[in-house]
Amino acid sequence: MSKTAAVAVENVSFTYPGTQAGVRDITLAIEPGELVAVIGASGCGKSTLLKLIAGFLAPDSGRIRIGGRDMANTPPRARDLGIVFQSYALFPHMTAWENVAYPLKVRGVAAGERRARAHKALDLVGLGAFAERRPGAMSGGQQQRVALARALVFQPRALLLDEPLSALDAAMRLEMRDEIRRLQQAHGIAALHITHDQEEALSMADRVAVMRAGRIEQIDTPRAIYERPATREIAAFVGHANLWPGVVDGPASVATPVGRFVTMPHGLAANTAVTVLVRPERVRPGPAPDGVNTFAGTLARDRFLGALRRFDVAVPGGTITGETGEAGAIGHVHVRPEHVQLLPDGSTNDD
Amino acid sequence: MVTALYLIYLFLPMALLVVGSFGEAWFNTLLPTGTTTQWYVAVYQDPSFRRAFWVSLQVATATCVVGAVIGLPLAYAIYRAASRGVRAAARILYLLPIAVPPLVLAFGFVLVFSSDTLPYLGSLWVLVGGHVVLTLPYLLQTLVGDMRHLRLTELEAAAESLGGGFASRFFDIVLPALRHSLASGLIMVAALSIGEFQLSNLVAGFLTRPYPVVLLQAFYGATGFACAATVILLALALLASFGGATTAQAGQRRMGAAA
Repeated sequence: MSKTAAVAVENVSFTYPGTQAGVRDITLAIEPGELVAVIGASGCGKSTLLKLIAGFLAPDSGRIRIGGRDMANTPPRARDLGIVFQSYALFPHMTAWENVAYPLKVRGVAAGERRARAHKALDLVGLGAFAERRPGAMSGGQQQRVALARALVFQPRALLLDEPLSALDAAMRLEMRDEIRRLQQAHGIAALHITHDQEEALSMADRVAVMRAGRIEQIDTPRAIYERPATREIAAFVGHANLWPGVVDGPASVATPVGRFVTMPHGLAANTAVTVLVRPERVRPGPAPDGVNTFAGTLARDRFLGALRRFDVAVPGGTITGETGEAGAIGHVHVRPEHVQLLPDGSTNDD
Repeated sequence: MVTALYLIYLFLPMALLVVGSFGEAWFNTLLPTGTTTQWYVAVYQDPSFRRAFWVSLQVATATCVVGAVIGLPLAYAIYRAASRGVRAAARILYLLPIAVPPLVLAFGFVLVFSSDTLPYLGSLWVLVGGHVVLTLPYLLQTLVGDMRHLRLTELEAAAESLGGGFASRFFDIVLPALRHSLASGLIMVAALSIGEFQLSNLVAGFLTRPYPVVLLQAFYGATGFACAATVILLALALLASFGGATTAQAGQRRMGAAA
């Protein structure tokens, strides 16, 4: 772990008193200027992790450092973190610029200067004309921008985003993804982004941490998470996936309910139980030129998605989902051996 | 139809009171005969009514101030109480004075404050104390409801993350955010205090009788006098409500200027 990490979480565990819920042995470092997204289903502990870093909860064990300093005895208000809450938590009795000026006010910035800085921060999020509005008179997207301006105006050490886009409609969500990323990069600030939306995480983050049952199961670049998921659950959670239980039946092959797949040499012992992953975009229509991994079946479902077409081919023993840009009948599909991935057997995992 | 009946039931007596208070004589007729302002003059010239008027204003004001000072922290404690059990207990506790008849409360006050150790029966503060106990539940209901509606915990967490200390969170965030519910709660408190009769009648001393208690005597005299005295109570209750609203707003303006 780098000494210079903006935020460093070291072996942190926390359990809510009287429950099993919490986080277990979390280690995570966010480098300066880096955006790390934490994804997972609700109840996986991702919001708890944010509260621990923010200081609203104290870890049972482990250490949290911000800018290299141990935060064990530092209350939330002295941690210098800009937090954007799911509900925005704008102060309803203050105008937009007064909201943004609040962190400057409590830091003793002179009235004239904080007014100027608050207005400049609002200009940066494109809300210069709305400075005198109260939150009640603004749209969700505008409130979100005010919350961002307020969280960044005092140049905090890091930005924590707690599902900031979940209350917005779909179009606004896409716009705000770019806006948050732009502001985060413009400020060169470390950011932790909590979300349950895997697409949001993949599209915005430098690295993605996948949490389940209080633990980080995998942390890597978005591409690596997608292309080399560590477990069946991650493969299913991130993107679309064909997943079959399989049994190794050769040094470069695996047997599944839909048939036998030729794989790259995998080094696993025969009869090892595995989960077989094939991403739909790797399933090609038609038979392979060399006949390898070719399956015959009937088109069971065909979804037109604009640029793409996602189809299910019913084969003896199951269904194979694929994606293609081309129209036409589909009677065969094939998968190249390098696109067949073997993951640890999902059924042996806890819960 | 039901609404219309309700409104007639509500407003007709009030209208008749106003008419009666300006009527010269009212015997065995549907409406009084002649117009006069002599009854108002008579009430004004009556020293016990004048004193009761000021007592009621003082008690209502003190009840509002004490209620706000006790009610805000108490409402906050109830709202923030972590466990479900504490919240339920608090709710029962603050609903109890509504369920218990004021007469029961008043008898208790009489017993406690006529003892030799606490011989304060008849003092203004016993009266204020009684009114605070009777009105606090209404104020708490309003405040706790608004705290939930505003999601005060989240606002405070936001303020804290932005660097706000306890004093800043209270004076810059909590108090101003609650100004509307505090104002409306205090209006209710003032109006309830002005109109309170049951408890006041038992615990008030001869010189600290609030207006409704003195008013009861008026019903043994001339109809016009009784009407005029009652209309004044009505006006007083409206005035108290208005006063409650403006006080809260003035406080808010001061805070705005300090910000």
